[in-house]
Amino acid sequence: MSRPPSGLSGAADRFTAWLWHWRRLLAILSVLGACSLAPLADIRTLDNDISAWFHQDDPVFQDYERLKKEFPGSRTLIVAIDSADAFAPAMLEALRTISAEIEQVDAVRRVQSLATANVVRLGPVDDGESEGDLLVEPLVPRNGPIDAATVRRTALGDRMLAGDLVSTSGRVLAVVVSFDEARIDAIRSAVLDDIRARVSRHLPAGATAHYNGSLEISETYNRVTLRNQVLFTPPILLIVIGALWVMFRSVRLTVLTVFAVLVSTLWTVGLYMWAGYGFNILTSMLPPLVLVLAIADDVHIIQHYTQCRREGADHEGAWKHTVRHLITPLFAASGTTALGLLSLATSPVDAVRTFGMGAALGVMVDFVISIVLMPTLLAFVPVAATPPPQARWLLGPMRAIGRLSTAQPARVVLVAALLLLVVGSGLLRLRVDTNHVAFFKDGHPVHDSAELMDRELAGIYSFQVMLEGPPESLRSPDAIRRIDALGQQLGQLGHVKKVIGLSDYVARVHEPLAPADVRAGKRLPTDGDLISQELFVFGLSEDGRRELESVVSTDYSRTQIMVKLASMSSDEAFTEVEEAERLSRAMFAGTGITPTVTGAGRLFATLDHYLVTSQVWSFGTAFVSVFGVIFLVFRSFRFGVLAIVPNLVPVLVVLGAMGWLDISMNVATVMVASIALGVVDDDTIHFISRYRREARNGRTTDQAIAIATEEEGRASLTTAIINTLAFSVLLLSDYRPSGWFGGLLALTMAVAFLAEVFLLPAMIKLLPRWFAAEHLRHA
Amino acid sequence: MRLKLRDDGHPFQYLQTRLEATSSRRDGEPSQFQARLVKFFLVLILLIVPGALSFLLSAEESSQASNTTPMGDWVARQVDARDTGRDAVIAMRMRLFDRQGRQRERTLEMQSLRGTAAAADGIGDRVLLRFSYPNDIRGTGLLVLERPGRDDDRYLYLPALGRVRRIAGAERQESFAGSDLSYEEIGGRALEDYTYELLDAKATWTAPDGRTHAAYRLRSIAKDASLTYPAAVSTVRADNFVVVQAEVFDRRGTRAKQYQVRRLEQISGVWTVMEAVMSHEVDRTRTELVVTTARYNTGLSPEAFSRRALEQPAR
Repeated sequence: MSRPPSGLSGAADRFTAWLWHWRRLLAILSVLGACSLAPLADIRTLDNDISAWFHQDDPVFQDYERLKKEFPGSRTLIVAIDSADAFAPAMLEALRTISAEIEQVDAVRRVQSLATANVVRLGPVDDGESEGDLLVEPLVPRNGPIDAATVRRTALGDRMLAGDLVSTSGRVLAVVVSFDEARIDAIRSAVLDDIRARVSRHLPAGATAHYNGSLEISETYNRVTLRNQVLFTPPILLIVIGALWVMFRSVRLTVLTVFAVLVSTLWTVGLYMWAGYGFNILTSMLPPLVLVLAIADDVHIIQHYTQCRREGADHEGAWKHTVRHLITPLFAASGTTALGLLSLATSPVDAVRTFGMGAALGVMVDFVISIVLMPTLLAFVPVAATPPPQARWLLGPMRAIGRLSTAQPARVVLVAALLLLVVGSGLLRLRVDTNHVAFFKDGHPVHDSAELMDRELAGIYSFQVMLEGPPESLRSPDAIRRIDALGQQLGQLGHVKKVIGLSDYVARVHEPLAPADVRAGKRLPTDGDLISQELFVFGLSEDGRRELESVVSTDYSRTQIMVKLASMSSDEAFTEVEEAERLSRAMFAGTGITPTVTGAGRLFATLDHYLVTSQVWSFGTAFVSVFGVIFLVFRSFRFGVLAIVPNLVPVLVVLGAMGWLDISMNVATVMVASIALGVVDDDTIHFISRYRREARNGRTTDQAIAIATEEEGRASLTTAIINTLAFSVLLLSDYRPSGWFGGLLALTMAVAFLAEVFLLPAMIKLLPRWFAAEHLRHA
Repeated sequence: MRLKLRDDGHPFQYLQTRLEATSSRRDGEPSQFQARLVKFFLVLILLIVPGALSFLLSAEESSQASNTTPMGDWVARQVDARDTGRDAVIAMRMRLFDRQGRQRERTLEMQSLRGTAAAADGIGDRVLLRFSYPNDIRGTGLLVLERPGRDDDRYLYLPALGRVRRIAGAERQESFAGSDLSYEEIGGRALEDYTYELLDAKATWTAPDGRTHAAYRLRSIAKDASLTYPAAVSTVRADNFVVVQAEVFDRRGTRAKQYQVRRLEQISGVWTVMEAVMSHEVDRTRTELVVTTARYNTGLSPEAFSRRALEQPAR
């Protein structure tokens, strides 16, 4: 530990003196600011809809918004009712009641089930004058007895119902609920609870209800996010408090550190919310991240301050010395961390971008608060004359590490290189994949319900082919024929389970109206007026009109082909979407009708590609900006290069580990590398700063390394232990990406510490002409 | 026992004396028990009379209140029975606005023949719709024969097929020709399918021209609660019993549709809604209805509402 300075000089000294003068006011303002921002820091307002991941200006998102505006209700809740016999009279009775009950729920716009389905069929010939009645009737009568056998025969024979609203095995019934898009997000939780309560109230014995669909997944994400906050914040806090207590053996120091960290976190979250950003499953990791990162700054400050006091400085001397000597490395460390996080702002994925900006803001806010608040608070802590025994516990191992690194630098570098090669080779196995259902562990309701719906029904994923042309163009016989042909081609794609388009609605009316045509193999009419009149007939009823408007615009300028899919990974979905796009373009080439593949499935698949771009761009930006700052801080190219090595190691190890552990690059893990780059350089900066200071103060290379390893390495070890333990808590999450994110960051912290204390000294020793103390003094 | 009268003129004393006299076993002095009993009854009467009066008054009020139900029925009957002509030929233009504000237009002619309650063929009102615009549905016809007590008969004629088909299973609350109005709202509801409650006998309705008219506010509740729109609150003009405004509620009790009359005229002595708009607040769609010509009592016969008539080309 260097001695407290006898006098202050230069701009840094004057700034330190200014801070000392205003320290109380600044500290009070920090606390008051945190208190005033606390009401804003409400992390319960969540938006986990897939659209939350996209920026409003994104063309893919705009396509989706255009689709939603034209054909609302694409976000649904699917209730699958599994029973031994879906067509048992009691089951159908229950379905009728459940459907009617769900229709009563606030914001519900449409309930599709066998109990609400209408069938169009041709009745028996009643006289010589006509060809029989066109029967437009509910499949299941709204009241009275149900003819279960007729319902079974009709439902399983209707290609629009079988496999969609009832499984072809006759076991599973589906209730598909659409909502008022303008209102559902605000009341989603209560509405879904209400539906669950109504379903379970009327479910017959032996039947089970399973819930899925885009709204259910979004809601589950919300619940998981909130549960994670409730579940993981206390243990993370306890670990932090416990570790601080073990380290300092002082209740006051522990309380003050937690208090300072809390102030920083409140500032961050409050400012983040004030700026208009929201929380989702990803950005909800912001508070724990800031909480953990804030500790590192405070630990360095406390260690420096207490050391000064033990060496005889009074509070003012220790305060000024601590601030004077830590302001640059802390600023550099925080700045590089912030830059690493800010690099995520280049991501086209909105949630990743806001996370990056929020976390960068948090790190810098924490720096500003810590540098004034923490040393000021330390005035309230009596400092023991001798360091606590546990400080010595870490001293021994750190000395041993320092000795090993300086005595056998080549071996240390060689072993590190070998380990890096083995672990880093996992990079070759790294894959990009986001599968929202697979993110939940087996046994989780979302996982299991998706499996059931994929197996028995039309699956939980979907995308749409939106066709746009001049008014009236989409009901021409040619357009209808092409829509039908495209539907058949799309149905051949590997994961597609159901395709429904405008031609199916035309066919549905045409078949009973013109049975002779059907017998002649003409499923669709070829006369334009007939198509218009048949569609007109379909829209004569209230249900028919609604159904038609859900598939085609009233002026026949836009229509959608709904493609339903089993749940799958995003890269598989992307392949299907690309193929659908190719088929659609080919089918409508030269017709004046433009096809666009869009929908939730498209968004989901696009995420994958954005993630890769995001990863490359953000990591590149982080690399350039972080090391740019390091070069500036050290004003030395050589030390800049030296800093790169131990910082790249954790990143490569983490990416390699992901490859070996089969953890995909997904919405959560995509950020790990950039964050790692920003976070782990803090210790390097502290280490190199200390080494250079000691070298300039006349120490030999070995002495400077020993002091830097013992003092800065000890602080790094403390923060590494705290951070590793704290992030490891997230491994307990039943949402896998949260667990991966926590586990990988914990690994990053641990590897970063090892790289710093082993590799940095070894490299300094291996390249004496560049880094030796004597050389530095001459320079 | 003889009644011993005292003539001091004090009514209570007189009464007391009489009671004492009747209840006494001996001539002369009443017992103390009897005196107490009389006092008790007097007090009881003093307490009971105001209570009874209050009860009677409230009962009268309640009887007045219960008059609202028959009053609601009466208004509903007047609406049902108002003169709409024996038959009518009405040409109308419908503008249908979707949730994007896009407009479609349909023109049609509606012929109707009022049925009698006890018609031999069991048919009530007859309605024939014939679309003349847009051109691709020109000639499309729909014949509706009301069957009191059961589903209406509906026949559809598509000129492109050249055939008539009977459509079974349609409900009266179904959309009228794909608009936001239902057949019920166009043709009037079956009186016996609803219960009525007069919400306000002294309501007013301000017409679009700014004139205020006396009106009734009538609530109709469907006896069949499973209907899509089981309740409505209508404003009925008191002078001619035309429904000039209505709020239609869905099963959740949410106001789903709103009906507004914009122009009302008397044609051939029949009050005719010349312009009206029905807004579907849940679907965010709107239908504007404009009657271009209306003729009443033109002499239409039941034969004009046959399947054969439906097949005849549009005029």
